[in-house]
This record gives sequence, structure tokens and C-alpha cells, in this order.
Amino acid sequence: MSEIRTLIVDDSSVMRKIVERALRQAGIDPLVVHEAGSGIEGIDVLKAKQVDLILSDINMPSMDGLEFLRQIQAQNLAPGVPVVMITTESSEEHVKQAIQAGARGYIRKPFTAEQVKERVLPLLNAA
Amino acid sequence: MLLNGIRGRSFSRAPRSGGKEGEQIMSLSLRESVQTVSDPKSLDASVKEVFKLMLGVSCQRESAPHVASGEFESVTAVVGFGGMLSGACVFRSQGDVAMKVAAHMTGMEFNSVDDTVKDAIGEVCNMLAGAWKGKVPELAAHCGLSVPAVITGRDYNLHVQAPEFQLNHAYSFEGARFSVTIICDGLQ
Repeated sequence: MSEIRTLIVDDSSVMRKIVERALRQAGIDPLVVHEAGSGIEGIDVLKAKQVDLILSDINMPSMDGLEFLRQIQAQNLAPGVPVVMITTESSEEHVKQAIQAGARGYIRKPFTAEQVKERVLPLLNAA
Repeated sequence: MLLNGIRGRSFSRAPRSGGKEGEQIMSLSLRESVQTVSDPKSLDASVKEVFKLMLGVSCQRESAPHVASGEFESVTAVVGFGGMLSGACVFRSQGDVAMKVAAHMTGMEFNSVDDTVKDAIGEVCNMLAGAWKGKVPELAAHCGLSVPAVITGRDYNLHVQAPEFQLNHAYSFEGARFSVTIICDGLQ
């Protein structure tokens, strides 16, 4: 597998590390990780870097994950790049909102590395 | 600290569905399913799930309530509920237990309750709140979560004014004790 450039957006630095570890455990390696603590920081990263995969929390201060998704679409910042939401919000309504905003996958916290593998690998293989 | 004061602006609003179907959903009342919402088993299952998946440890429910001693530093994380149910999910432990939780989550070692430990405890509380409300479909869809707030210090108390119901459970893993409290101060 060629190098996978990934943006992880979460207001918790601990969760960003856990997601990175889960990606490596899922066999997504070599992996280059860019981190952002909010949707606003995520937008800034996407303006400066090219990525192959975006993983984002929903419930964040300053700009939440759904608004981050809408901004990516509106500004055409990462065309064709799969976005997977990783969040504690897991109702059908939340999933529907995320898919409508452009998400290609959804992982509920708490999660296992196996779940990350199941949701993320098919998206990378299809890209 | 007055937990009832926590609800309000800081909450993300529970999503509203549009159209007829949405109106039917919003007319549901949690009062009809208050027994399900306040079922202690839901909280136990949520705690066990979060600790198993995120820390890789098995948790046991303890019979005696956990009381944080004022002598030692304690860590309290609060995640608020807003929407169909208002209230909060509260995680509380002594500092050494908080460090142990963070160590299991991150694979790092900690000598003090630093920002990473507080971050980890806030996330644990966030996942506990999310897992608990996810056990009741109406709650999962129509109750929002606030971002976590974490309080550290010695010799402080939590006061809750006349909650609708409250679940206060003590748990342990590998000899480390902590408590998780669900406070509901309003139900639609």
C-alpha cells in the first residue's frame, strides 16, 4: 500500500492518537497523519496539504464536524477524498445528517481497530 | 458546583426531523419510557462497553458507592445532556485512578493529572454519555451532548438540586475505583 495521508479532526488529542493507533493496527501503513483540533483547523490543514482520507469527530467546539463537512464541499477542498465520521452520536438521524453533508462512513465511539478497518479499508481500496 | 446550571447554551441542539414523520417523532414523550431510561442495567452495560473497547479492561460494579476523599486530588468530568432529557453524565475518581485510565487509553505513563489525563477523562465521560443515551432510541435521536468539562481539585462536593432521577454507581477495574452518575433534571 502506498503512503496514506490522513487528516484526523478531533478536539481531544487523546482521541486523535487513539484513532491513529487504530489505523496502524488496521494495517493502514505507511501512514502520514495531520491533526486538527477543530473544523476550523481542519479547513486550514486542507488548504495547505493534500490528503487521501479524512476522519472527523462531530461534537467539537468552534466548528463542529458537520459544518466542517459542509465547508469542505462548499470550498471544494478535498474532492473525491473519503470522509469518515467518528463520534459518540450514533442515531439514524445523525448518520443521515452526516451522509447528507458528504460523509462516506460512520464509526461510533467507543470503537475497535477491527471496526476502523472494516469501515476505512474499502474506501481506500475504492479510491 | 450546581449541575442544574449546566444546561443551556453550551449544548448542541438535538436534531429535528422535518415533515410529518418528524412531527410524530417529536411528539413522543420520554415520560412513557422513563423506566427504560432510568434502568440501572443500561448504565452498567455502557460503562463495561466503554472500558472494554477503549481501555481493554473489564469493569465490575461495586456495591458500595464510591466517595472521593477530600484528602487526595480528584478528577471530575461532566458531559451535559440537552433536548428531550436535560441533565448530565458525571465521571469521578481520584487522581491516581484518572492517571491509570489515561495510561490504558494512550499507552503512556503519567505522574500527575496533566492536560492529557484531563483530556482522556473528558473523552471517557463523553463516550459513557453517548453509550448510555444510545441505549434508548428516542434519547439517541433527540438528546444532544455538550463538550466535556473537567474539574480537578481537593475537597469539593457536587450538589444537584432535586433531580427527576439519578443513577450513582461505583465501579472498579484492576483495583481502581471510580463512580459514574447520570443526573436527569428534566424530561420531556
